[in-house]
Amino acid sequence: MQPPQTNEEKQLDLALDDLIQRVRELKQGVSSFIYKLENDYQNISWPNMMEHFGVLSSGLSSIKRLLKTEKMPLLRNYVLFPILLSPDRDPHLEKLTEGRVSAFNHEVVPDYLRTKPEPEVEEKVQMLSSKAASITPEVAQKQLTMLNKITSNILDIINASSDDWDKDSASLRNALPPTTSQQETAMLIAAVTKGVRLRRQDSQGQMSPAPQMGSMPTQQHQQQPLPQKPQMPGSGIGRVPSAVKTNIKAAVTSHPYQRP
Amino acid sequence: MEAAALAPSLKNIAPQQEYLLQGSILDTHRDVLLHRLRGLCDNAERNFEAFSDYEAVYVLRNSSTAQQSQNQHVTFRVRHALDHSDAPDHIRYLGQAELGDRSRHTLVRACLDVACSSNVRDFLTEMGFRIDHDYVVKGHFFHKGRMKVTVYKIFRLIQPNKTDPHNLEPLGQSHLVELSVVAPLGQEQIGEDMKNFAEQLKPLVLLEKFDHRKIQ
Repeated sequence: MQPPQTNEEKQLDLALDDLIQRVRELKQGVSSFIYKLENDYQNISWPNMMEHFGVLSSGLSSIKRLLKTEKMPLLRNYVLFPILLSPDRDPHLEKLTEGRVSAFNHEVVPDYLRTKPEPEVEEKVQMLSSKAASITPEVAQKQLTMLNKITSNILDIINASSDDWDKDSASLRNALPPTTSQQETAMLIAAVTKGVRLRRQDSQGQMSPAPQMGSMPTQQHQQQPLPQKPQMPGSGIGRVPSAVKTNIKAAVTSHPYQRP
Repeated sequence: MEAAALAPSLKNIAPQQEYLLQGSILDTHRDVLLHRLRGLCDNAERNFEAFSDYEAVYVLRNSSTAQQSQNQHVTFRVRHALDHSDAPDHIRYLGQAELGDRSRHTLVRACLDVACSSNVRDFLTEMGFRIDHDYVVKGHFFHKGRMKVTVYKIFRLIQPNKTDPHNLEPLGQSHLVELSVVAPLGQEQIGEDMKNFAEQLKPLVLLEKFDHRKIQ
């Protein structure tokens, strides 16, 4: 009789140790998550959060699996009952529970050793289950289809309005009037850095500093109008039309020695 | 090339570089930008600081040397304030803007800016410089730390040498927006700061490093 007994006890000890270990891990996970939520909440992203939840729930389900395995003795066959309640502080208990329970007294025992829901809750559950049982299958079916109908209606409405909303915001984005223009930027920068469109037409012919190499100014001049060309049709903003440009060109071809 | 020509004289002065980003804003949206800049920049409680300058660009061409070197000329920009007639003129030399590679966020160009007396124009003319073009700029400026932001309109002078308002013709329908820092070379942090600042102005204004070679 003795050996099987000890065997069983050994198994129980092992299983309990394993269980405690898992619960401790889970507790650590929860507390680190809570710590993060309280102190580092700026840096938590949604996926990060989901990851945490995932880890916790897998911990929970592995504990559940552990409880159902063959090796785990049926814990419900063991009875735990308090032998002594004392209102005094118990340092050992306090240390075991990391300061959560300081005394094994009449106040905490009913809460900690509870194996059934509170009587009021039990009553409520009883009431609801009897109510559910009293409904005939046909009525239930009817209510089910009704609920489905309502749900799908609401879903439709939400989808439609979310589509509308997306479209609205998209069109709003497109409708934003342009506040800047690449052509204008190019034109202004050209004016400020190279004096394009700021030089005087008349000064080009006469005021040129006298001696120059022929090839150089011509080249410069031909280059200047070039970048403007593609801009002209597109932009059409604030431009003296192409007459000016052709004038420059004409001048260039007829007077190759003018100033750049 | 200009820098090369000037290099010996530059050695004696602390080499200053201008880090530059440019963009433009349509006139109709200028006020929105000004208000945003006011919020972003230092001295938000003060009113906008306006400026109105006349700038003339003087060129000295090197006619004696090298056939091949087509850009052998030196450019100086002389600027004086129209709204503060007692302020000194400024003469400024700007080097060729370098685009750099992708890791660099801004244009970089040599920049020398010196206050001088108002007879600098005569002096330059005597030296053989000729006025290349001139214009008037009017706008506002802001600063944030060492970053300077200018939002200004460029005006052409219809009649030469007259800067009264009737004689000014606005160029285009936008204000030019420039974000610049003048500092010694090799401070990469500036580019980073400027890029971050420019990000805050999107999509109102796209401040970019504009390739100046495109407009040659």
